[in-house]
Amino acid sequence: MEKIKKRMGLPNASEDLSSEMEVDAFRRLFPLRYFERHLAESIRPDGRPLMKARETSIFLGAVASANGSALVKIGSTTMLTAIKMEVMTPSLESPDEGCIAIDFHMPPICSPIVRPGRPAEASPVVSKQLSDTISSSKMIDLKELSLVSGKAAWMAYLDVYCLDADGALFDAALLSAVAALSHLQIPAVAMNDDGRIIIMSDEEGQKQEPVNKEKRKLTLKSILFSLTCILHKNYILVDPTSEEESIMETHVTIVLDTSGQLISFYKPGGSVLAYTAAIQDCVAISRQRVQELKSILENSAMEVE
Amino acid sequence: MAGKGGTTPATYSPSPATAKKKPPHLKEDWLRPDGRGFHQCRPAFFRTGAVNAASGSAYAEFGNTKVIVSVFGPRESKKAMLYNDTGRLNCNVSLTTFATPVRGQGLDHKEYTAMLHKALEGAIIVESFPKTTVDVFALVLESSGSDLPVIISCASLALADAGIMMYDLVASVSVSCLSKNLVIDPILEEENCQDGSLMIACMPSRYEITQLTVTGEWSTPKINEGMQLCLDACAKLAKIMRLCLKEAASDSQE
Repeated sequence: MEKIKKRMGLPNASEDLSSEMEVDAFRRLFPLRYFERHLAESIRPDGRPLMKARETSIFLGAVASANGSALVKIGSTTMLTAIKMEVMTPSLESPDEGCIAIDFHMPPICSPIVRPGRPAEASPVVSKQLSDTISSSKMIDLKELSLVSGKAAWMAYLDVYCLDADGALFDAALLSAVAALSHLQIPAVAMNDDGRIIIMSDEEGQKQEPVNKEKRKLTLKSILFSLTCILHKNYILVDPTSEEESIMETHVTIVLDTSGQLISFYKPGGSVLAYTAAIQDCVAISRQRVQELKSILENSAMEVE
Repeated sequence: MAGKGGTTPATYSPSPATAKKKPPHLKEDWLRPDGRGFHQCRPAFFRTGAVNAASGSAYAEFGNTKVIVSVFGPRESKKAMLYNDTGRLNCNVSLTTFATPVRGQGLDHKEYTAMLHKALEGAIIVESFPKTTVDVFALVLESSGSDLPVIISCASLALADAGIMMYDLVASVSVSCLSKNLVIDPILEEENCQDGSLMIACMPSRYEITQLTVTGEWSTPKINEGMQLCLDACAKLAKIMRLCLKEAASDSQE
């Protein structure tokens, strides 16, 4: 069924057939025409207006064994992020800095196109984009991850798992990564006689002073949110589903911080050229979306408390 | 501890979870770490339709053991294999990097993959999807004991959700033997200090067993007791699974 050739070069044939064909068959055979008919009416096949993002939810603390975690849903797209803190010896060049390792995974459960042993094409792309965005934004001060100068520092392993892939993967991945970072609780640790860092337990009395008395939560200097839009002819479609992404190939991803400042802008080619006006429109919509996401994140933090 | 200089620093977890705990001194008044009775399972939670991109899926949560299974197909077989008139079952089990107390590599779990395949293949009517493949993929979100039985039960529910024909649902439960006691549905701490373990996967309505594994030291009366415990628990588990399917069906009708 997936094999049906998309976009067959038969525009006239579809014109003739469309009156007789069943809607579902028309959708499969001529997906682009099917979408364009909706777009002309300013509506999408799932009933959304062009500029509306799907329903979004955040649940903090989904993984009990992690130091910070978040489950995010944008429509059907589901991301689970967990952060585990480990200890490392900092490098000689930056003895006062910790490190953060960001990885994005697409396990075979998330989509019919991913098979075991053959990673999805999108997965390394999103992974790189995520770590570039977070490290270049200076959202996290790596000095806060230092424990004992030159001897020990935190290595934060942040792993994002896509549980259900239905478009806008980067948006959902970034949102869950940011939510997990905001949820992160750093354990109190002490250095034992061998120079190893161990977790302070309540039972063993207070023989040792914790080395990180104050640094138990990360200060997020800015909070990043993103929005992906599809450009097709003169239309802008916000927050695309995987079906929309497969039919209309040109998309732009905009990352802003809460003050509305542009952090990154990503347009990986595509057949539609982005004119200045279209870009300005996309940025304006992203500003609104940032406010929406900000309040969703704040509400989820209150639910945890 | 001297760190290895260079680009990839070696890291370690500050928690002492790696150390294998010594078995608790099993006195008369020994209690399970989570306060359960010896023959009491953790509360089971199932939900079908967890992944929209799949033909069928299920999520299972037993305490802190959390698993998602997606079923794809019946679809074209990707592997080049000999011609086969009947359908084919393909399984895969992987763990997230944060599933275990100490961060793992997130690799495929070969042993669970083989065991899941063997536990399910007897229950599926492979003649109902000739020449095609049904893919059953499981991801362990959090591992906290009795992982394989939870994966098996969850996978059979996901198969039912995908509309794959089966003789019956497959429910699976394990028991651990801790010196003189048999504890059902063990958690990770109990599995780490067990003397032996017994796992049954069965089709309760047909009273047929698809998989039985016994490891460690067991006496014959203990094996009989353990099997009876598992079979009773499987029958109860299958009722919960059936209820979950019924709820999903009545929800979709509304």
